[in-house]
Amino acid sequence: MKKSMGRTLFLFACVAPATILFFIFMIMPTANVFRMSLFERGAYSPTETFVGLANFQAAFSDPKFIRSCQNMILMIVVVTIITFGFAIVFASILTREKVKGKNLFRIIFYIPNILSVVVISGIFSAIYKPENGMLNSIIGLFNPEVLTNPILWKGEGLVIVSLIIAMVWQAIGYYMVMYMASISAVSESLYESAGLDGANRIQQFFLITIPLIWTNIRTTLTFFIISTINMAFLFVTALTSGGPNGASQVALGYMYNQKDAGLYGYSMAVGVIIFLFSFALSGIVNKVTEREPLEI
Amino acid sequence: MKKRILSLLLCATMVLTMFTACGGGNNADADAQGEGAKKITVAAFEGGYGADLWKEVAAAYTETTGVEVELIIDKELENVIGPSMQGGQYPDVVHLATGREAGLTEQFIKDNLITDITDVLSMTVPGEEAKVSDKIAGGFTETALTNPYGDGKTYLAPMFYSPCGLFYNAGLLEEKGWAVPTTWDEMWELGEKAKAEGIALFTYPTAGYYDAFFSALVYSVGGPELFNKVTNYEEGVWDTPEGQKVFEILDKLAGYTHSSTPAQANGEDFTQNQQLVLDNKAIFMTNGTWVVSEMAEAPRAEGFKWGMTALPAVEAGGDGYSFTWFEQAWIPSGAQNVEEAKQFVAFLYSDKACEIFAKHGAIQPVLGIADKLEGDNVMFYSIYDNGAKAAMGAFAAYKSVAGLGTVQEVFFDPVNSVVEGTMTTEQWVDGIKEATDVMRENIIK
Repeated sequence: MKKSMGRTLFLFACVAPATILFFIFMIMPTANVFRMSLFERGAYSPTETFVGLANFQAAFSDPKFIRSCQNMILMIVVVTIITFGFAIVFASILTREKVKGKNLFRIIFYIPNILSVVVISGIFSAIYKPENGMLNSIIGLFNPEVLTNPILWKGEGLVIVSLIIAMVWQAIGYYMVMYMASISAVSESLYESAGLDGANRIQQFFLITIPLIWTNIRTTLTFFIISTINMAFLFVTALTSGGPNGASQVALGYMYNQKDAGLYGYSMAVGVIIFLFSFALSGIVNKVTEREPLEI
Repeated sequence: MKKRILSLLLCATMVLTMFTACGGGNNADADAQGEGAKKITVAAFEGGYGADLWKEVAAAYTETTGVEVELIIDKELENVIGPSMQGGQYPDVVHLATGREAGLTEQFIKDNLITDITDVLSMTVPGEEAKVSDKIAGGFTETALTNPYGDGKTYLAPMFYSPCGLFYNAGLLEEKGWAVPTTWDEMWELGEKAKAEGIALFTYPTAGYYDAFFSALVYSVGGPELFNKVTNYEEGVWDTPEGQKVFEILDKLAGYTHSSTPAQANGEDFTQNQQLVLDNKAIFMTNGTWVVSEMAEAPRAEGFKWGMTALPAVEAGGDGYSFTWFEQAWIPSGAQNVEEAKQFVAFLYSDKACEIFAKHGAIQPVLGIADKLEGDNVMFYSIYDNGAKAAMGAFAAYKSVAGLGTVQEVFFDPVNSVVEGTMTTEQWVDGIKEATDVMRENIIK
């Protein structure tokens, strides 16, 4: 009896610091976001007025917020599909095929992930520069008209595409390395026997590789969707500051700007909407991708 | 058993250290408050003039009055003092202008969180005989930037002023034999001539730089009357002939703007727009005197020479205007040492402080400052002596409304879309009309 009591105490003492910290720095602020979304106040004002759900009503009839949500969703969908497609294919090629300089490629793909977003935005500013920019100069080799009438990569029409390219470039390496690890764990004998049965490389990829690393794909997918919401904000802030004229603004950036405009409660309401959205989205993704796990 | 006790003890220490660490901050606060009277905290934005000027002025203040000054200087000052102010810890004096992206000063104005400093104007400058009001140049304490509520009371002290206008390469104009336009008609003529040579007439760093340009333009079209109507969001002002004239000019100018401008009009690439002028790819840009030091290291066309002109007049013989941009220093109403803070603000206009500021290129709005100017600044600050009128003022503060947007978003950001051609000037004006209907009703009195 005494022994188990001591054990409980010990366990309690071990878990307590983390729990307390988690409560203070995660649960309380989150609860506070929900509470503050029901009030109208400035970031520094000492008083606050209860306005019920008015902030949410305003958000859903605010065209700028809706546009920023559309941008966010577009980025989540497109960036996820492209990144995952490339990451899995590259990982499969680098693990399964005999490529010269495998490790070199691995490093090259991984490097963008180490760089900070600010550095990346500097690099892409040089790439997207209208005059003498890398991209326009290369295109100019084939189409000299671009040199006199440059393509505006950060202009209103193409800004989202440019952001997506930068985000994909940044994310591929990380996920590729993850998939390389799980692909190399797939037993070689499976591929050998599939080869004997007449399955070609592409069939092997879809029938062996994908099903066997499915659990990994599923986990990273949820993880990636959540992180894209954050990364989109970082990239937009560093690369375009939401411009031109709000064309590249994303929901988190909009939330941040509303705080600066003196609408703290409203920005919290936007925060709550994003919070619920990302929760729901990861729930849906989790449900949709559910498969019987394959164990061999 | 011993082992277990030991581990329990270790855990307990861990938990305890955690709480002591949390408590530590509070003790330090109490100390700071206790000795408050002999020490003030000054938070200053580190802009183009650097950080040294504040260190030197703080030292000079301590020397004059014996009061110690603790400085917080940062390029992203909002991020440094913002969170601590949310937690209830305020610096005694804040030097941070309006018009910054984070809009911290605007938020303090909107929430009435700034101390009334009207009495500072009648205070004697520490270490001198003169009163503050005798030193500050005329007009600076009568604008919406210093008296935001229009009640005759001053809340923000005017600091470092800079004439804004159109900056250009004087060398290029000389070489081509082009004259600096004095009316908008001459401007369009020059635009055509330049276009023929593949040079754009105009560019702007970011849409935010339109605030000074727009104000000066409104002044030059309709004088102070029109400016007051515009900045108080008066109904129907954009349907008057003057109001329409303003947007007629803006519309035409958008057509003459360098096509790359909107794609570079963001925090990351705005210097590339400024570079267009240095490379002779665009003639004029709207800017302030700080651009000279900002682009000091940048490569430039041969024979480049900075020039600056006021906005052209609407008709021959009309008034050209240059917007006087200035920064503000203010005392948050949560400050601990208000009296000492007021003394410090008064000291900012002393000869000693003005000299230190001027040495670093920051020009205080005091009488007789012209003698302290050096280099390019002599030319820039003489703009008003050469016939240009000074435009001053700001948009009236209004209570934020969800979904309404800021003045910057409503009035200036659309210029990017208009230049790119994804929006017409009519749509721009319609957006302004719609938004100002709401702003008007929420003006803070």
